[in-house]
Amino acid sequence: MEPDKYLLTIVSESILEDRMIDEIRELGANGYTVTDARGWGKHGKRRGKWQQDSNIQIQVVGSRELCEAICARLKDQYQADFGLLLLISPVEVKN
Amino acid sequence: MAFEPVVLFFLLGVIAGLAKSDLKIPTAVYEALSVYLLLAIGITGGVKLAESTLLPLILPGLAILLVGCLIPLICYPVLQYFGGLKRADSASLAAHYGSVSVVTFSVAVAFLAQAGLDYEGHMVVFLVLLEIPALVVGILLARAGMAGKTRWGKTLREVFFGKSIFLLIGGLIIGFAAGPDHIGPLEPLFFDLFKGLLAFFLLEMGLVAAAKIADFRYYGKFLIGFAIVMPVFSAVLGVFLGWGLGLSLGGTLLLATLYASASYIAAPAAMRIAVPEANPALSIGASLGVTFPFNIFVGVPLYFWMADLLYSMGG
Repeated sequence: MEPDKYLLTIVSESILEDRMIDEIRELGANGYTVTDARGWGKHGKRRGKWQQDSNIQIQVVGSRELCEAICARLKDQYQADFGLLLLISPVEVKN
Repeated sequence: MAFEPVVLFFLLGVIAGLAKSDLKIPTAVYEALSVYLLLAIGITGGVKLAESTLLPLILPGLAILLVGCLIPLICYPVLQYFGGLKRADSASLAAHYGSVSVVTFSVAVAFLAQAGLDYEGHMVVFLVLLEIPALVVGILLARAGMAGKTRWGKTLREVFFGKSIFLLIGGLIIGFAAGPDHIGPLEPLFFDLFKGLLAFFLLEMGLVAAAKIADFRYYGKFLIGFAIVMPVFSAVLGVFLGWGLGLSLGGTLLLATLYASASYIAAPAAMRIAVPEANPALSIGASLGVTFPFNIFVGVPLYFWMADLLYSMGG
């Protein structure tokens, strides 16, 4: 059975938080959760000490179409110049 | 010559960072210290400003800003033609070196206190003003003759409402409004504790810089040379301009330090938004990994020596 809800997880640079959230809301998400993040990847080590050096993780739950639309928009806007990781996974929402 | 022990805390942080010590300043403490430092610098300048008259400052102020715009215009061709850097990277680095560093300025203020020299309060106004024009010049350099729109709105919001400019201007206004007569109750916190808390801040800066110093070996000799020669060149401009404008010796040291310093808080944020294709590791690595340590250990005493020499020769 096709699950009805998907979890979109975005990991990107802290400086993009406001802009990404504007876009996520504009595309019709009902909510989002942001957490501070740190890690290592193609854009080097992100230590999370200050804004230039820290990441965020944004999570959105919604339909597959919504998650795909957000991914397409963020890839188009930010992939070339910023660290960006996008994941979609099926989830069961229990409440 | 005056020696300012507060810079040794930076060294301690660098050693801890390079030795992979478990020493950490909690992020919340670092944030609080940076808020304190910005407010303290703003308030100190505001109180001094309340004691002086503002009108005669306009022309010298314009000259100081003009040279502030000139510095990125000198950096850019040097980086592009001699360094072979990409247009966006050259422009971003030019903006970083044209803009200023509050902590370097703070170290110079502490240096003057140690030497028992006074300075003009309006130097703090220039600290605020000099952050901005170089960023605009840098963005224009990156964008000149290129398609694609610049996010001016978001960039300017980041510059003016980013915490550094916002708190400096806020502190300046509070200090100015209070004046020397009413600042009394705040003095123990903002004046007396300044150096001690700056020491904590420099310890954390040392830890952060250690990581940048370790990364920097990938960037090449040219950039390391640039990060040392350019501040000295800019400081020479500052020493002559300060002397020409008739600033006090302390004021001239601060002007030279402002021109010599490279931003690593306001500029990276603004450039990341306005010129996202520039590699942020290059500019932060150069400004924080090389120029900042150079300035606080060698630069400030060197610029003081240059200014002192000029003042004793020129009278």
